[in-house]
Amino acid sequence: MSISLNGVTKYFGSDLVLDHVTDEVPQGSLTALLGPSGSGKSTLLRIIAGLEPLNEGYIELDGRDVTKVPARDRNIGFCFQDYAPFRQMTVFDNVAYGLRVQRVPKAQLKAEVEDLLDLVRLEAFADRYPRQLSGGQRQRMALARALAIKPSVLLLDEPFAALDAQVCAELRGWVRSLQRTLGITTILVTHDQSEAMEIADRLVVLNEGRIEQVGTPDSMYDKPANDFVQAFLGPITTLNGVAYRPHDIELCVPGLGTDATVTDVIRLGFEVRVVVENNGIASWVQLTHDEAQRLNPVVGEHVSLRARTGASVASPQP
Amino acid sequence: MKPSRLALRTVVLIYVGALIGVPLVFLFQQAFIHGFGPFWSAMHDPAMDKAIALTAKVSVVAVPLNVLFGVGVSLWIVRHPTRFTRLLDTAIDVPLAISPIIVGLVLELVYAQTGWFGPTLAKLGLHVMFSYPGIVMASIFVSLPLVSRQVIPLLREVGDHQEQTASTLGAGPVRIFFTITMRSITWATAYGVSLTLARVIGEYGAVLIVSGNIALVTQTLTLDIGSNFDNFNNYQGFVGALLLALVSIVLLLILGIARHRERTRNEYLA
Repeated sequence: MSISLNGVTKYFGSDLVLDHVTDEVPQGSLTALLGPSGSGKSTLLRIIAGLEPLNEGYIELDGRDVTKVPARDRNIGFCFQDYAPFRQMTVFDNVAYGLRVQRVPKAQLKAEVEDLLDLVRLEAFADRYPRQLSGGQRQRMALARALAIKPSVLLLDEPFAALDAQVCAELRGWVRSLQRTLGITTILVTHDQSEAMEIADRLVVLNEGRIEQVGTPDSMYDKPANDFVQAFLGPITTLNGVAYRPHDIELCVPGLGTDATVTDVIRLGFEVRVVVENNGIASWVQLTHDEAQRLNPVVGEHVSLRARTGASVASPQP
Repeated sequence: MKPSRLALRTVVLIYVGALIGVPLVFLFQQAFIHGFGPFWSAMHDPAMDKAIALTAKVSVVAVPLNVLFGVGVSLWIVRHPTRFTRLLDTAIDVPLAISPIIVGLVLELVYAQTGWFGPTLAKLGLHVMFSYPGIVMASIFVSLPLVSRQVIPLLREVGDHQEQTASTLGAGPVRIFFTITMRSITWATAYGVSLTLARVIGEYGAVLIVSGNIALVTQTLTLDIGSNFDNFNNYQGFVGALLLALVSIVLLLILGIARHRERTRNEYLA
């Protein structure tokens, strides 16, 4: 189901949290709402779910205005960052909750819950309580619970923030393929740009309640609309007052670029960071392992820097 | 055992023994000083039986009302915070801070024949002072915060994400209350109920003033015990006191179980 946000505006007291947010989320897409903390991304997610009223604007699902429809009637699956497991219920009862609300007959309910538990690979944990599950298992339970009502839209608030790195990496890929399989329109909120770029096919970058840019991860990394988006989507460094990606700067023959002095060389396996200084301003250059071997920069060496051809710089979109 | 630990344990034992152990033993000893026969007939003292019945009748109304009020107010204060509920949150503790005697006097000031609402209510045939409604009111007043003080911190800690998730799954407010909210505060509420019951059964000062302390009519068990001692009827007083103490011990046991369940439940949160 497609989601359309039209001038969504939200105040907390006198604080403007969302400022006329407008976006069209296509059917079947996986959109990441990306922004620093306090950018309003979680509030926007809660507003779409109907858990928070908005002050101005309206929201449509497949063209139907749902602004005044309460959360319970929106048929939107929502997962909180803490997964909000129903603590006093077993995993089975957690997943069955939405189906019991719909008064699904017992046999059908059992079959559907078992299918969902298979889907999230928790079939062996049906009789456990949430407290007996690991973080990753709780998250999968919360997903199954949300999917049980066959939602038209799935909303995930910081789904991987509470997990350790390895579980997180595993679950990202799994959620991605699950979303593709089910074809369900999904929006996830994250503050982690690498997570957003890895999992989403659409990015919406929010800052201080306003949308800075919308696009595919690739296009936004290469053609950020402004300095904020450029800085938020990846590392930047400055050369002659212009912000560049560190891998878009090259060391060249003296005289062809800006003169600088190498102050440090940091080797991180495949990546090598060369920290340089010109006229008291520090910047850094990212080299591959091979480039570093060939150029062999050493501390104290005088080098020349220039931007590679086709280097991505912030440019306002037409 | 280290000497310091031994000394500490001895001090604690003496302290607890002097305050609780010795009086309790003394109570048993006094109640059974004439053997079982007299104890049994003292148990069937008409004034005491009447008093027990009144205490039961007061508890049966005061405790459920307090639970309804306590859970309702807690939900209001925690889930819909406004400047008013912050005020309410503080005001709810007033009954604990002021002396029960004052509670009784205030109720008298308002509801007595010479009070603000007394005459009006009397015209409607409702006599609050020196009767059952007054005793119930005084009992509710003195135990007002006992349920909400247990429930409020737990509601805060549990948060509203479970409830909101349930609403996205299609559940309405009533279903959410019974399947989610109530299930997380069951033991805290039970704890509050035990505290309320103990307070209602044991209340003396406020009830003394409001009830008028009329034997066989408005005397609760505590008042009956008090008047027995006043009338040099010590033996009957000890039997009543023992009864009251036994009820309190049972309540304490229930409290202990509730608190234990609560603690084990909280460990699951980690």
